[in-house]
Amino acid sequence: MNVIEIKNLTKYYGKARGVIDVSIEVEQGEVFGFIGPNGAGKSTTIRTLLGLIYPTSGSARIFGKSCTTNPEVREDVGYLPSEVFYYDGMRVIDLLRYSASFYRKDCTKRINELAEIMDLDLKRRIDDLSFGNKKKVGIVQGLLHGPKLIILDEPTTGLDPLMQQTFFDLIDSENKKGATVFLSSHILREVQKMCERVALIKDGRIIKLERMSALQENNFKRIKVEGLSNLDKTIFDMPGVSKLENGGKTASFLYRGDINNVIRKLAQTEVSNLSIDEPDLEEVFMHYYSKDG
Amino acid sequence: MNMVLRELRANTRALVIWSVCMFLCVLSGMAKFTAYTSATATGPSINDLLKTMPTSIKALFGFASFDMATMSGYLALLFIYVELVAAIHAALLGAGIIAKEESDKTTEYLMVKPVSRTAIVTSKLVAALLNVIVINVVTLVSFLIVVPLYSKGSNASGEVLMMTLSMFVVQLIFLSFGAALAASMRNPRASGSIASGTVLTAYFLARITDMSDKLRFLNVITPFKYFDLGRIVAGHGLNLGIVLLSLALVAAFSVLTYVFYQKRDLNI
Repeated sequence: MNVIEIKNLTKYYGKARGVIDVSIEVEQGEVFGFIGPNGAGKSTTIRTLLGLIYPTSGSARIFGKSCTTNPEVREDVGYLPSEVFYYDGMRVIDLLRYSASFYRKDCTKRINELAEIMDLDLKRRIDDLSFGNKKKVGIVQGLLHGPKLIILDEPTTGLDPLMQQTFFDLIDSENKKGATVFLSSHILREVQKMCERVALIKDGRIIKLERMSALQENNFKRIKVEGLSNLDKTIFDMPGVSKLENGGKTASFLYRGDINNVIRKLAQTEVSNLSIDEPDLEEVFMHYYSKDG
Repeated sequence: MNMVLRELRANTRALVIWSVCMFLCVLSGMAKFTAYTSATATGPSINDLLKTMPTSIKALFGFASFDMATMSGYLALLFIYVELVAAIHAALLGAGIIAKEESDKTTEYLMVKPVSRTAIVTSKLVAALLNVIVINVVTLVSFLIVVPLYSKGSNASGEVLMMTLSMFVVQLIFLSFGAALAASMRNPRASGSIASGTVLTAYFLARITDMSDKLRFLNVITPFKYFDLGRIVAGHGLNLGIVLLSLALVAAFSVLTYVFYQKRDLNI
């Protein structure tokens, strides 16, 4: 079953572009990455999915239902917005109890567990909390009801690296318990680490939707060569090579195509060191983005 | 229910402040009654003084047609101002309570909970209604406490009851108007100032129509003129037909609130 089904979703704010013709399907139990620079339409997609705004055309469904006509499907959704805002004058525990009051189960035990994991003081007043601590409140309040679908919008901004790790471990354990995760981010590292499939969005359109492994493996290799003497400048002047940095004895480039072609070229020269790696997503990503301008 | 309690809690402080203001408004207003009536011993009575004033000036201050030397006539004058305060409270509350999630940026927090927008609006309207009832009861009790201190035996509680009852209907109109306004606006943050501006416009319109009979047709657009205070002073109570029409107006604004809030993209 598809937990998230977005079909040909288009959203305009008046004349301003939100997203255009976005189609995404996320299966149950999957960790899905949604990547794009700021303003690409990630939050617009999520807000339409959650029923905060209406699509101009197309549809966005959770568990087969639209949030606007069936708001009760949000019972099983946990959401962490990119910026968290809460009501004035509440303590952390008041807010979490209020959040819990919307769900038909007792969440007290889970609140305490999550606060323990995220190192959050429940007695503090929310107004006095730092941005990072407010974000922690957001994490706890998004997970306290044990949601089957977790939607994260730029989840790690404001969290220190240690806490980011704790957070991802937490999401990972929720996923192992069966929760589907939809992770929107502009930080490729975290998506790369967690996600099985990924959609790249730019200027409101999905430009690539692929398995993470396919995205990294099938397309590119990061090749670094060190020669015994200075390398011939023209040696890597061949189809499939991009981002070539050739300086003296060393050369480094991205290669896409039949790996044998490169090996034949390399065999013509004396090599002292060679490494062929999977490029990190950043490089793949930059490739897609720069290609279209 | 949880949302109603949340709204009530969020509005508690404002409600206390408005209630105290309302009591002080009644108290200070009534304190002048002695000055108006006791002046007869040393100089001309307030009624003699008013006779020398042009009708338009009298109308502007609300003195139009009441006998200021009697308690019920004076109450009718004071009541105009009390009602203005209550109306501003109701309009601001109605607009504010609907716009609040968007102006406090808590839309995302609330809207991802498994509740419909209809349920949210209902909770907010119920909480606002309770607030308005409190203000109305505070006003009634304030009058019932303060009036006997000055009325020298004459009992005006019947008139006070009818006036506050009519005020309740006017409060409901402005409350639902403010709510519908906030629900309809793309940027609801401005709804509070527009709603209170509308109240003041309606108030001055009500004063202006006192100046000339030719302007009386304007009374239909200002709720301050829906209930004839002269009729209450004369002991005839409220016109049931007008009460029903007013409640229909309240219902219409409430329905619009639901419709607009359901249809609109919420600001985040």
